[in-house]
Amino acid sequence: MTGMHLGRDRVTLIAGGVALAVYATLFASSYDQRILTLSGVYVIMVLGYQFIFGHSGALSLAQGAFFGVGAYVTGIVGSQFGTGFLITFPLSIALATLLAAIVAAPVLRLASHYFALATLALNQLLLVIAVNWESVTGGANGIPGVPPVILFDWQVGRGLPLLVFVWALAAAAMLIAHWQLRPSRVSSFTVMRETPLAAPAFGIEPGLLRFRAFLFSAAFGGAAGALFVHTNRVVSPETLGFGIMVTCLTMTVVGGRFRIAGAVIGALLLTHLPEWFRGLDEYYLVAVGFLLLAMVVFAPNGLAPLFLRAGEPSRLSKTIAGDIEPPAKSTAGLVIEGLSKRYGGVRALDGASLQVEPGEIVGLIGPNGAGKTTLANLVTGIERGDAGHVERASANLSVLSATAIARSGIARTFQTSQLPDELTVRQVVSTAAVNLGSTAPADKVVNGALALCKLSDDADTHCGTLPHGVRRRVEIARAIAGDPGVLVLDEPAAGLADEEQRQVADICRALAHAGTAILLIDHNLEFLRTSVTRLACMDAGRIIMEGPFDTVLADPAVRAAYFGMADQ
Amino acid sequence: MLPGLRRIGLATAIITAGLSLVTTAAADSLRIPVLVPITGFLSLEGTSQKNGAELALDGSDVAFDVADTATSPEVAVNAFERAMNAKDVVSVVAPMLGTQMLALIPLADEFDVPMITVSGTARITELGSPNVFRFFPGDVVVKAAHARYAVEELGAKKPAIISQTTAYGQSGRAELDRNLRALGQPPVFTEGLEVSVKDMLPVLSKVRDSGADVLLLHLHSGPTALVIRQARAMGLDIPIVAGSAMHQPETAALLESAELLGGCAESGWSPISETGPEFRAFADAYRKSFNREPDAFALGQYDGVNMVLAAIRGGARDAAGVRSWLESNRYDGLAMTYASDGKGNMAHSAVILCYIGADRVPQIVKRYRNVTGVL
Repeated sequence: MTGMHLGRDRVTLIAGGVALAVYATLFASSYDQRILTLSGVYVIMVLGYQFIFGHSGALSLAQGAFFGVGAYVTGIVGSQFGTGFLITFPLSIALATLLAAIVAAPVLRLASHYFALATLALNQLLLVIAVNWESVTGGANGIPGVPPVILFDWQVGRGLPLLVFVWALAAAAMLIAHWQLRPSRVSSFTVMRETPLAAPAFGIEPGLLRFRAFLFSAAFGGAAGALFVHTNRVVSPETLGFGIMVTCLTMTVVGGRFRIAGAVIGALLLTHLPEWFRGLDEYYLVAVGFLLLAMVVFAPNGLAPLFLRAGEPSRLSKTIAGDIEPPAKSTAGLVIEGLSKRYGGVRALDGASLQVEPGEIVGLIGPNGAGKTTLANLVTGIERGDAGHVERASANLSVLSATAIARSGIARTFQTSQLPDELTVRQVVSTAAVNLGSTAPADKVVNGALALCKLSDDADTHCGTLPHGVRRRVEIARAIAGDPGVLVLDEPAAGLADEEQRQVADICRALAHAGTAILLIDHNLEFLRTSVTRLACMDAGRIIMEGPFDTVLADPAVRAAYFGMADQ
Repeated sequence: MLPGLRRIGLATAIITAGLSLVTTAAADSLRIPVLVPITGFLSLEGTSQKNGAELALDGSDVAFDVADTATSPEVAVNAFERAMNAKDVVSVVAPMLGTQMLALIPLADEFDVPMITVSGTARITELGSPNVFRFFPGDVVVKAAHARYAVEELGAKKPAIISQTTAYGQSGRAELDRNLRALGQPPVFTEGLEVSVKDMLPVLSKVRDSGADVLLLHLHSGPTALVIRQARAMGLDIPIVAGSAMHQPETAALLESAELLGGCAESGWSPISETGPEFRAFADAYRKSFNREPDAFALGQYDGVNMVLAAIRGGARDAAGVRSWLESNRYDGLAMTYASDGKGNMAHSAVILCYIGADRVPQIVKRYRNVTGVL
């Protein structure tokens, strides 16, 4: 989300706020005010759900559970112990968040439908408890007579006071969401969601991001549940029912998964829509269903983008010499010692050893299946080896996570492009710069990387629209945004035209000149001939030969393994 | 800046106009809103409630609107608030779902308007609200009849209970359990079922393994039919006495005559089982208006609304007047004589119905009059 996006969100929110204020004070009956109050409650729940379902991309079905926990904590503590809002409200948020923290460890390890089912199970478990633990929860009847909101002896009365109070909290929730979803973090979420394989290699910690999103979704859900109970004055198992979850999901999808305005639009629309069609008696659900279906079909990204128009990223300031941060001189190379890796009965790596010194470009060739990409994955921590280790500056990197390895100065590109389509070139590179913790000012680093990779003119272009050759350079620009000492390039010239290959070779040489140690995996021998300092060849998981380019290619073992040519 | 301001203005106008669509108009005549669940798992019973109220109100001077409360407290409160937007509301036909009633009671007290309902949930008349009037024998009445019939007439020594996990189910189960213990025959088996459960064989197997000699059901309409059908199919050869859902013609329609045969149910009354001319007239009018058979909920709501209309005819012109009249007067309704016990419980008698012979119309085999001693 760029600064311009936020500006548009702000315009929409201001418009909505003004409209609500005018309507609520001048036109709304007590019934209208109640519906608006409920909308405000749902805004908070949906804002939370956007963290996990929208930004994190995980179909959580636990939002109803967190909502229910908040509702029951407020209902039980408020009505049984006479505790006031100033205690029950934070307590509802805290216990919902605590529940999320407890279940996060097993649940967040799961992906796709397994995650959805696990979170649904949490919801169902709590529902069973609420129905059957009658002495505490009131059973299926629930607990009536939940006290109203009382702040320092001032009772927030039904109607306009409660409406204003709930929307004030909704506005606070929007500000928290705005603060949490700053542009760099939204970009990190996008990278994690669209290219999960690549995310750790650029300093993004998917586990931490998802955990944080899950906690925020729970906190917002708990807050909404507490307010819901104060609005209805009764807590019952319906607050844990699947209907609440479906309502939340529908609001998020209809309003939009990513934008704050989407939460407001979705909540307002979905709470009012059934009321507008009440005149149709028992057929109103059919009308509501058709309308929702039409919305999802014609606005699959939600209604918020329709109000906000298509996002236009901010223009990149012209790159000038003073803005460019030159690559720092590297002092430590890469040492690979005896790396082994098996996949079941297949030995992908079998004691591979190799060194790349600072300023050196080592080419790595080998037949398909020789283990080149596996070697790159083990060096960068994407996978764990069975034996051997990787060192840099005498530090054993094999015990570190992929994110930690990336932050220690080892960057990479991937054999198949790992760029999120919806981010611009600049956003992709700056996301890496921020997450990799570059010591230089991020703008300078990003401008430097873009200039070196000849991407300044494409900086504002979305990656999804870029041609293949440019995408390859974007990947390199992103890899060097963290000012790495070691760079692992996995087939960067594959599918490139001659001119594009020369551009990549120039980039590699410039980086090596600055001291970067580069491991360059490719099949294109002409490209490698113009690029590398020396060459290594792999076969069956081992380095079978390394040395000067021509010497390696002349080696009988290399010729047999790589070219299939047996010397006479 | 200007485009931004234009967008704000346009959006403001659109949102305000859209929101204003929900504003309702005020009415001039006295009004009795009908707030009942006509969608969701209680739609069958809620529709009976609606029909009974409509039949009573049609042709009267009192205006009414029907609003669906579905099955959540939130929707019920929305409907109530919307109904109270209108002027001159003298009473509200309130939903039979217990959780919805519990959510509405504080509102009714705040608006100071009496609610008439056929909800069986015991708790709604135990909260001290002066605005709840129940025109259906509550669990205290019907579950006493239910338990007494099982023990005193069927000779149950080992009764088993299957109830719903809804508020209706939990409330009735507690009363059944209390009455059975009071009669010296505590249940040997009790289990709660989710409304969504369709396979009853597991719970019926447990009933058989428990050695139960009578099975007492306190379930909604659909689950009641499923339990009886699957009990017959598995050869569970013990008497079954169901809750009031069983007497509904729609429930009986879900079962074959052979499956119905011998089955019994408690109820406040059964309009199709009565033979008096006034009952026949009611049933004929009901069939003509709604093309379906009347049940106890329809009759209870019909009597309740008629008692409110009697209050209006008796001079009550506002909610307070109606409430006062309901609190202090007896009313001879079609089904029985109604009078408040001081808590809003207006009905104090119950019947036991059994399907005897090939007929789908149950016969009244036992009447339990004035169970509470109020009349």
